Amino acid sequence: MPDRPTGSAEPGNVLAVTGLSRAFGAVRAVDDVSFTLSAGGSLGIVGESGSGKTTTARIVVGLEQADTGEVTVRGRPRHGRARGRAERLARAREIQMVFQDPYLSLDPRITVEAALRETLRLHFPHLDHARRIAELLDQVGLGTRAADALPRHLSGGQRQRVAIARALAVEPAVMVLDEAVAALDVSVQAQVLNLLADIRADTGIGYLFITHDLGVVRSVTDEVVVMRHGRIVEAGPTAEVLAAPDHPYTRLLLESVPRPGWDPDRIAAARRALAAG
Amino acid sequence: MNALEIRGLRLRLPGTARPVLDGVDLTVAAGETVALVGESGSGKTLTSRSALRLLPTGATTEGRVLVDGQDVLTMDAAHLRTLRTRKAAMIFQDPRAATNPLRRIGDFLTESVTLTKVMTRAAATERATELLDAVGLPATVLDRYPGQLSGGQLQRVMIAAALMGDPTLLLADEPTTALDVTSQAEVVALLDRLRERFGTGLLFVTHDLGLAAAISDRVCVMYVGRIAETGPADTLFAHPRHPYTAALLAAPPRLDAPAGRLAAIDGQPPDLRQELTGCAFAARCRLATDLCRTRAPEPVAAPADPGHLAACHHSELLEGSAAHA
Repeated sequence: MPDRPTGSAEPGNVLAVTGLSRAFGAVRAVDDVSFTLSAGGSLGIVGESGSGKTTTARIVVGLEQADTGEVTVRGRPRHGRARGRAERLARAREIQMVFQDPYLSLDPRITVEAALRETLRLHFPHLDHARRIAELLDQVGLGTRAADALPRHLSGGQRQRVAIARALAVEPAVMVLDEAVAALDVSVQAQVLNLLADIRADTGIGYLFITHDLGVVRSVTDEVVVMRHGRIVEAGPTAEVLAAPDHPYTRLLLESVPRPGWDPDRIAAARRALAAG
Repeated sequence: MNALEIRGLRLRLPGTARPVLDGVDLTVAAGETVALVGESGSGKTLTSRSALRLLPTGATTEGRVLVDGQDVLTMDAAHLRTLRTRKAAMIFQDPRAATNPLRRIGDFLTESVTLTKVMTRAAATERATELLDAVGLPATVLDRYPGQLSGGQLQRVMIAAALMGDPTLLLADEPTTALDVTSQAEVVALLDRLRERFGTGLLFVTHDLGLAAAISDRVCVMYVGRIAETGPADTLFAHPRHPYTAALLAAPPRLDAPAGRLAAIDGQPPDLRQELTGCAFAARCRLATDLCRTRAPEPVAAPADPGHLAACHHSELLEGSAAHA
């Protein structure tokens, strides 16, 4: 286990997670997980299905409650469920989430403009929405023509841009991206990853990037934690962890990435050895 | 004889301005692994499904699709049933969606061969047990329900099911996409072993170029219903002759590349309601000229390698250049 972060509420950290645990029946989905995200930083959580990465993300956002442990955003602890509308909105302004499937995360009946307007109306009732909408669309590389489109008239990549614009609309401190580029085609995925890098450079929003793809981790995160069976098995600066992995599971993940000269038999054997050990 | 031979396949769907498949040529020799690579909408899945004549409603076709020498597109219903149970089999992306959760694995494995009277129930159960062993699962799995198996185990059941009729052609449509990276290796290793042991031709459909390079003898890259480039896996990846292949190789975030901006391909594939004049990739291509926008390129072999074809007017501009510059 990595060291407990010292002084989780220190000003440099926009998000601090300490000793998070969550069990579903006998399964310890998340088991004593701690990490911090520095302001404007990008942290990747890597793992396979059942590693607890998505449950961790859902607890951070507030879609799921932890059995024990604490989530602190901008130094403010979040305890239990949000009480009342004002607190719910305040929490939404702290953390926004972008989901994997852009086809499911937008209301098929309302236009892009209406979706953004609704978010803005909730959070900033006194602002000039038309100008902000144009600004947001521009920020995610969509023309004003997309504003009048229904989700079904947009491609997967365009929809994910809309989902990102909607998350940006509330000016959150942290954006949680749960496999946000996994469903996109290679050529479009690169566009969206570049866009996310630009947005982070411009706004200083911190990213929590949940992914199974080590290539994605390499390109968009500064720090990474590797999860397996609910626990963190390795954590550190992304470049270091990927260049010199300490834990055999991290090594297995790295070797599993297909490339010319790849030996699937050896990986399968390593996987069985690790599962038995 | 080739396990699969597709010649000039053109497939039209109602309500589209251009063919969804536009003159596809593709061969899989017996015992060979061919990867068919493309993004969504490229037609890779339609192409593989055409080998079983699993076509969308209202589709009209031109060209020929030969499995084991017989034309799939024109054969009668009886032959088609034999084709689907004995000659060609498909492994789908999502094993959960391809199995009935209320029926045992044993029933699932033996159903097609007993219904078509290829085997008696006893012989079919014996064959199923044998194949489960070949894919690394115990015979007790026969009495299990799909919900009692993990995704990786269930995909191995799907592979066993595909081999029940001892097919000459195996079609695998993104068979590892729904699996974790570490179980992906296991399924790929297994497919490769079985292909070798049974001499089956394997058409592996994937969006993952790295995976295609790792497992196949030959690769076909599809873009917007056409084969952009085809050639031996290693040369195609080291020296792509089509700008789309080169761009696809450069785009994904890689483990060994320095951090920084990715080489994204601008724009998106043309809409199906739009007619195409010229090369389908022209609008997104850095090398495109007026010629590309007006005349569709024919596949041309590389000077040094007759098996390496690219449909590009300017492929000589790519030759000698590093693939992922």
